[in-house]
Amino acid sequence: MMRKIFFCCALLMVAAPLAKSQRTPDYDSVVVPQNRIDARDLGYPPIDVIPDGESAITALAVAPNGNLYGATSGKRSHLFVLNPRHGYVQPLGFIPGATAVTNALAVSDWGDVYIGSAPAGHLLKYTPQREDEQPLRVKEPCEVTDLGPAVRGESIQTLAIDRRAGVIYGLTFPNAHFFKFTLTTGTSADLGVVARRAPEGEKFETTKMVSRMLVLDLKGNVYASGEDGFLFKFDNEKQALEKLPVQAPSIPGREPWTRVDTFLLDPSGLIFGGTSDGYLFRFDPESMMVSNLGKPLLEYRITGLVRASNGKLFGVGGDEDDMARLFSYDPQTATYQIFGFVDVNRRPYYSWQAYVVHAMAVGLDDTIYIGESERISKLYLFYPY
Amino acid sequence: MNRRPAGRRIAVVLILAGLCLAMPPCASCAEKIIALDYRIFPGLAEMDGNWAALTVAHDGKVYAGLACHGCDGHLVMYDPALDRVSDLGNLTRLAGEASLRIGPQSKIHAKFGEGPDGRIYFGTHAGLWFNYARVGTKEGYPGAHWMAYDPKTGKVEDFGIGPRYGGINTGAYDPKFNRIYGLTHPRGHFVYYDVASRKAVDKGRINNFDSICRTLGIDDEGNVYGNFGAGQIYKYDPRTDEIIELPLHIPIQPKGVSLGRDYNKSETHWRTVVWDSQEKKFYGVDESASLLFSFDPHAGQYGEVKPLGQLCVEGMNDRRDIPYATLTLALGRDRKLYYAPPAKEFDYAGSSGIGVSHLIVYDLEGGRTEDRGEMRLADGRRVIGLNSADTAPDGTIYFVGAIEVRDAPGEQNESAGKIGNVPYRLALVIYRPKPR
Repeated sequence: MMRKIFFCCALLMVAAPLAKSQRTPDYDSVVVPQNRIDARDLGYPPIDVIPDGESAITALAVAPNGNLYGATSGKRSHLFVLNPRHGYVQPLGFIPGATAVTNALAVSDWGDVYIGSAPAGHLLKYTPQREDEQPLRVKEPCEVTDLGPAVRGESIQTLAIDRRAGVIYGLTFPNAHFFKFTLTTGTSADLGVVARRAPEGEKFETTKMVSRMLVLDLKGNVYASGEDGFLFKFDNEKQALEKLPVQAPSIPGREPWTRVDTFLLDPSGLIFGGTSDGYLFRFDPESMMVSNLGKPLLEYRITGLVRASNGKLFGVGGDEDDMARLFSYDPQTATYQIFGFVDVNRRPYYSWQAYVVHAMAVGLDDTIYIGESERISKLYLFYPY
Repeated sequence: MNRRPAGRRIAVVLILAGLCLAMPPCASCAEKIIALDYRIFPGLAEMDGNWAALTVAHDGKVYAGLACHGCDGHLVMYDPALDRVSDLGNLTRLAGEASLRIGPQSKIHAKFGEGPDGRIYFGTHAGLWFNYARVGTKEGYPGAHWMAYDPKTGKVEDFGIGPRYGGINTGAYDPKFNRIYGLTHPRGHFVYYDVASRKAVDKGRINNFDSICRTLGIDDEGNVYGNFGAGQIYKYDPRTDEIIELPLHIPIQPKGVSLGRDYNKSETHWRTVVWDSQEKKFYGVDESASLLFSFDPHAGQYGEVKPLGQLCVEGMNDRRDIPYATLTLALGRDRKLYYAPPAKEFDYAGSSGIGVSHLIVYDLEGGRTEDRGEMRLADGRRVIGLNSADTAPDGTIYFVGAIEVRDAPGEQNESAGKIGNVPYRLALVIYRPKPR
């Protein structure tokens, strides 16, 4: 009996610090499970990091060798790489002349990284050179080759690459030009526009509605969304841009302000997308059918969407004023799972929540990379299994 | 061998040790009591908290923001010349949102500032966050309003919503550039409202939601200072409109897993700073151990920080359960710093138990710290905890916080809730230092 009293008293003495070891426990029920997510600083703090105000991650792309490349936007844009073998972010330098790189990173079959820059609208090429042996570059420029402007007078909004054909496709801002850049010849061709006018709106709403990403189907055709949310197709065989008779889903009447935020190609040939109103949809390029799969979240926007090797889609939703949340969609069962806020708590070492996310990518090992896009930003790693 | 007596002795020792840990600190200081004057806020007994929102204007009038979780906060004013407390308005109604039945304007959570035009500038804040499940929703909190109260007309001008869906958790007003500055909750943005140009500006993320620095300090040149990380100082320069991280840190006390309210926080910052216009430097306390420091922003290239000691209840200095610091630092006209730490972790109804605030005084000229004892009202009621302070032109130190409620002559037994099992309400607590 005394032994029990002794044990209980001893337990009470030590229990208080342990019971309060972290933040309020109920908060953990509204964030991504903490054993499945981690975060990385963009460099080696406190000195060799991409500076605050320049660290918003707005583009991520995985190279054929599995390295993750990322680009930031802000006062200056920076390029960085994460080699999964090492697990840390290595800044590669600021991108000369660029303040924004938005979903405009494309990696070729042989590992060259193509960057679509804003505001100048130049295509830049970065060739990795023994990155493991290079120092972190934060204050130094990234060594890139300037391939010239894609479309004169326009900045580059997004890029996609056909690795087999060696062709890069892109959309420009502000005038929604669809262009093609051939890697072997180094020439760019303006193939038309996907939005001729800004939608009717308030006087301060002057932006033409085009998709924030492009996607290629299995045949090398390229898709975008444009005016009134219509899908556009660049036909690889005909080498022509055409407006399709289908639109991204929206509430009737909201079509003019609808754009596709994210696209991804499923190995089945189906294309999935997320819209600016936060709908997930499926598009069958063969039957030309768009199926609205509903809204996983209360928020607007699906700013990142990737596919894990088990077929599940993972996405992030929320706009600039929100607190971003991670969700998944299982096409097999047509069900959503909402994980919660994108947050990492590793006290006493670090603790940070990403409120705004603008980029996602999936690694060769199914690690899902989530790019925070704020004045101070981190790269998150989510492990889907 | 009979082990029973030994086991019993061990259990008794353990129980006594536990009781010792639970005992209030400074048993000897319990003999020292300092009696204070006070004024309640009539008709506003429901108001359940106050953080930082207290400013004395040049004419001696005292402005306070009273908070109400789940309901509307109020702006109040005490006129010492008339010895009268006035309710200047319900914040949700002043924001024009009274009929919307959405997240109310529950608080003013930051210091006010008096402008060159005599107006009192501030930003509002939310009360309940529901683990942010309502952020950005129709029924949620719409965002903080920037406002100004004009004592000449008695009217409040609403400048509109600053940060969408976010509250002004921390704030300060700069008369030089005529701006109201703030740090938002929950998204931790550095924002300001430029009164002259009528522009609301958002400079972006500065902190994580759990660690937003609670006080912004403004120097004589209009530069704005805050804290992030492990006590590192940042500076916002209005001339360049840039935020710069300075290679300076305030003293903080690493203490493992905190047993106090700051266990929720992932960073350690200054809790409050005050500007000394005579020496042109700040004095402040850190949040986890009430370490006192000075920060001279004009010394050297980046400024200079000096540790000066600790302002806590005597006997708590090295204890792990030292309470989270309060926002009650005030610089008296007598060149003394006044500070009111609690004896137990204090957060109004969220307090860990009932205790009595102490009045700690630090003499800037002598460098000495004195615990003047427990703060009580003239009738013996406890001043349980305080969370704002300011100094009047005549040297009076005003605080706002929680006083014990008992049946008292002339007062109804109204309370905002309980701390421990003791009813409390908010009051303006008044200390008149003796002249030197």
